[in-house]
Amino acid sequence: MKTYDIIVIGGGMMGTSCAYYLTQEGLKVALIERGDIAGGTVSHTDGYIGASEKQPGVDSMQGAESMKLFDEMRKTFDYDFEYATNENDDPIGFVYFCDSEFEFEKAKEQVAKNQALGIEQYAVDPYILQQLEPNCAKDLTGGMWVPKDGAVCPFRVAFGFVEEAKKTGLLDVFTRTEVLDIKQDPNTKAVQGVVTDKGEFAAPKVVNAAGCWAPFIGAMVGMEVPIEPRFGQLTVSEKTGKITQNRLALEYGYYLTKFFQDGERPIDPLVKAYNVCLNITSDITGNTVVGGCRLFRGFSIKSEYRIISAVAQRGIRYYPMLKDFNCIRSFAGIRPFSLDHLPIVSDVEEVPGFYMACGHEGDGITLGPITGKLISQYATGKPLQFELAKELAWSRWQGRDIAAYKKKEEENSKALKAVEEAYLASLEK
Amino acid sequence: MARIDDEMLVCRCEEVTVGEIREAIAQGAFDVVGVKRRTRAGMGLCQGRTCEKMVQQLISMELGVAPNETGVSSTRPPVRPVSYGALAEGVF
Ligand SMILES: Cc1cc2nc3c(=O)[nH]c(=O)nc-3n(C[C@H](O)[C@H](O)[C@H](O)COP(=O)(O)OP(=O)(O)OC[C@H]3O[C@@H](n4cnc5c(N)ncnc54)[C@H](O)[C@@H]3O)c2cc1C
Repeated sequence: MKTYDIIVIGGGMMGTSCAYYLTQEGLKVALIERGDIAGGTVSHTDGYIGASEKQPGVDSMQGAESMKLFDEMRKTFDYDFEYATNENDDPIGFVYFCDSEFEFEKAKEQVAKNQALGIEQYAVDPYILQQLEPNCAKDLTGGMWVPKDGAVCPFRVAFGFVEEAKKTGLLDVFTRTEVLDIKQDPNTKAVQGVVTDKGEFAAPKVVNAAGCWAPFIGAMVGMEVPIEPRFGQLTVSEKTGKITQNRLALEYGYYLTKFFQDGERPIDPLVKAYNVCLNITSDITGNTVVGGCRLFRGFSIKSEYRIISAVAQRGIRYYPMLKDFNCIRSFAGIRPFSLDHLPIVSDVEEVPGFYMACGHEGDGITLGPITGKLISQYATGKPLQFELAKELAWSRWQGRDIAAYKKKEEENSKALKAVEEAYLASLEK
Repeated sequence: MARIDDEMLVCRCEEVTVGEIREAIAQGAFDVVGVKRRTRAGMGLCQGRTCEKMVQQLISMELGVAPNETGVSSTRPPVRPVSYGALAEGVF
């Protein structure tokens, strides 16, 4: 039987990052992935990285910490993961659009809170908005500018982690290998290894980095993991050059809908029915990626035509010139939504040797590096990268009523479904 | 069969060469989608209509598997390029 210091389950953003940082600590790692590296959510996503799309506190802090690691990576990795920079070699920044007084007020509140934490973020008036994004609509209420946020090519980051980790000689990658069970000591519950469709692997430590599928891995050691798939869909244009000026642009509603706080947006019933909010960026390759939405569709990643249509509407609302460019494809993905909006990153007291690196919802590209780093610190008993990281630990779920969280999530999901059904019914009339 | 030159262009839309595809396979790609993610081959305007067969043959040769075991690219709507203006009005 093959024996390792630690086994990482899942070759997505989290799994590859864990594998990388664990090999940097000198551990012999097996990375086990049932499909190909980067075959899961990390290939069905945008590549926005930053601190601004998170709630002020531990959430925005982990974003800021991860940005520091990305900055290290871009200097040390041979593998190019398309870290986007401006003419000063700095990250390109995010711009948020506010389409109502309500949104602008919310944005100002967020700015004040994050500034207090030392995160650079500004509320801007329509005049400055025009300077930042000359192609955007002229009638917006205001916006928010986050100069230090940036972008990467998500799956290239995952491939980069693997290629850089291989250089240590400490990483073995097993693709097309599915974990079916986890072996535990019957008395202490300590993990001993995993059972896969290609045989058994032994290790005293196992990391659950299975994204949306983390609950199935958790169940193998008797844990109920509160993570649900949250659907998103994007479109890609033909080569457009710079519609956005080297920046990532989002409507502020994209942030608000994440936390179910969007209030009333002045939008078309179709856009409302599919909970669509604009995020748009003209990327390094010259294509423009236009999204997105937040829905609950189980594990489906099928693109839907009505959503494409709503995304196109939202894109044209903020960037009128988009209407003349062609869309060449659309794709969808599922975010591993942890029911309290924070990822789960830590060891697990009741299962010695078991670690959780999952539940990053819409922030898993940003949070890839910091998560792998923290897991490497947990696994080697080193101090954590930043103090507040303790708040991400699995232990917060102990004693919580998971069923109540699930019920609340179901209500949110039902409310969204009801809006969609009302819309479809109105079409039939 | 003679070895195809590394310099040869396979995906014209994204300018990907045989050599880059071989490197992707050496790094672990085992199907068309894996090659596409690692190299961008098939991601351009034609969405792989021109180069997919060639990519399949390269994987087949490098890994010693049958070409039909190398997978196909997932087809994603819209089937043809359509303007955002038309899409916004519900034309597909
Ligand atoms: C439309 C969309 C837009 C997004 N935009 C952004 C963004 O701009 N910025 C950002 O930071 N985040 C964004 N996200 C979120 C981000 O993509 C995710 O949080 C992140 O990709 C999750 O990574 P992961 O490693 O946890 O999951 P995954 O990439 O899904 O990896 C999990 C892996 O585990 C494997 N696996 C599962 N079960 C098993 C098993 N039994 N055995 C072996 N392997 C197994 C799977 O095959 C999979 O490869 C977006 C997400 C979506 C859907």
